[in-house]
Amino acid sequence: MTALLEVEELVVRYGEAVAVDTVSLHVDRGERVALIGPNGAGKSSLLNAACGVVRPSSGRVRVDGADMTGAAPGALVRRGVSQVPEGRHVFASLPVEANLQLGAYGRFFSLEIISSTLRYLRRKDEVRERLERVYTLLPKLRELRERPAGRTSGGEQQMVAIGRALMAEPRVLAIDELSLGLAPIVVQQLTEFLVRLNEEEGVAILLVDQNAVLAFSLCERSYVLETGRIAVEGSSSELRDRPEVRSAYLGGGSGPT
Amino acid sequence: MTTFLQLVVVGISTGSVFGIIGIALVLVYRTTGIVNFAQGVFAVLGGVFTFELAQHMPLLPAIVAAVLLSAVLATVTAVVAVGIRGRTTHLASLVITVGIALTAEAVLLATFGEVPRSYAGISEHAWDIGGVLVQPQYVLIAAVALIAAVALTFFLRRTIVGQALVASADSPRAAELVGLNIRSIAVIAFAVAGALCALGGALLAPTVPVVYNADLALTINGFAAAVFGGFASIRLALLGGYALGIVEQLVVGYVDPQYNLTIALVVMLVLIGWRSRKELAV
Repeated sequence: MTALLEVEELVVRYGEAVAVDTVSLHVDRGERVALIGPNGAGKSSLLNAACGVVRPSSGRVRVDGADMTGAAPGALVRRGVSQVPEGRHVFASLPVEANLQLGAYGRFFSLEIISSTLRYLRRKDEVRERLERVYTLLPKLRELRERPAGRTSGGEQQMVAIGRALMAEPRVLAIDELSLGLAPIVVQQLTEFLVRLNEEEGVAILLVDQNAVLAFSLCERSYVLETGRIAVEGSSSELRDRPEVRSAYLGGGSGPT
Repeated sequence: MTTFLQLVVVGISTGSVFGIIGIALVLVYRTTGIVNFAQGVFAVLGGVFTFELAQHMPLLPAIVAAVLLSAVLATVTAVVAVGIRGRTTHLASLVITVGIALTAEAVLLATFGEVPRSYAGISEHAWDIGGVLVQPQYVLIAAVALIAAVALTFFLRRTIVGQALVASADSPRAAELVGLNIRSIAVIAFAVAGALCALGGALLAPTVPVVYNADLALTINGFAAAVFGGFASIRLALLGGYALGIVEQLVVGYVDPQYNLTIALVVMLVLIGWRSRKELAV
């Protein structure tokens, strides 16, 4: 069976510098996968190449076996791959609800704006239903619907960014730095939400995070990226017990878990 | 006092057009990051096209056609300035718009000549309000500028296309990530801005005859108006336009007509200095 999202021997270069060096990874349907590693290991570059933001210099990106290498982010969104970017990047001056609606609009968007808009308007009922669904999943967003997204807290912005991505009904949600700059209690809530989303809605998750404890507890399977290459991969419970992983990412060699 | 009020009335009317151009510059800059130095060209085109078309049809359809035609040309400008593959840097785009402005002037000179053209506005009869002459055309320009600003604000806040424009201004990256094509959005911004300026130009021509090279002064004045709003606010850009129009008319009336563009530049410099201080202080 083909993987939902598959990256094969991917290389990402910025000029001379090689950010991602021949990396292969895959996310299956309904799976939760983490990509961890130190700063500058190439995690974000890899994620961005998988989402069409960065064009890889070689290698392949496949969704359901279809070659999507070098496709625009919108094409990947339409195939079911949505990204929650690092730093949230909400549409700060727009109300929360408009942020969400744009997530759906983007899904119906093609090169040409008039037909894209007509397509969106024709599916207005579908969008409304989807919006209700997202509000049910993230009730906090319903309370905040009128507020400009820039005037919500960091955790709320992360919810807006996740909700916006969910509006496109993704099959895999690629999250770049879920926990960055957020309070532990907020991270805890988001983590629980993502597990529920995964189990109830069947949305696969590809999480990039510097926080290995979080990544291991959220995801069943993990990849450790070091200087652009995959150093170790395997089930999270197995990786957690490896001495080299523990000393580098879990703060020393104290007892298991 | 009558002279003063008279100058203020004229100033509000010309200032409305500066405001319109300012709004257009803000719209394009905020959504694309490009300062469109050809923005004033569309006001000139609005006047020129209306003049030519009005020879063959009534004024209102002529204005509508002129605005649409200008919007089409603005779309072409967008494609040239932004580039089909989207690899053009903002600085390069800016230089391209300067080139487009110069080219447009040359083409207008060759086809239209250097004689200023004008046509009758809605009414030749000025209202006499306590000795101050108010031409209906002045009122029309001011009203249209106001309505345009309100309508544009509504468009940006309440419609999905407008929200997509704001979104790509807020975060081009996130806009791309949700699947919006920010280059097609840039085209919309240019087209709307171009249409707006053409409307302003078409309405201005009856009171200020249109010349092929009027665009530079209009762009600079619009730029100053936009700077008044920190290149971000539509409302403040319109207010900036009013303020600039009034100040310039006062200079024309009391000092010397040839200094009015200088005033725009000085106002702009002072505001830029003040703004940058304000931003540094944050």
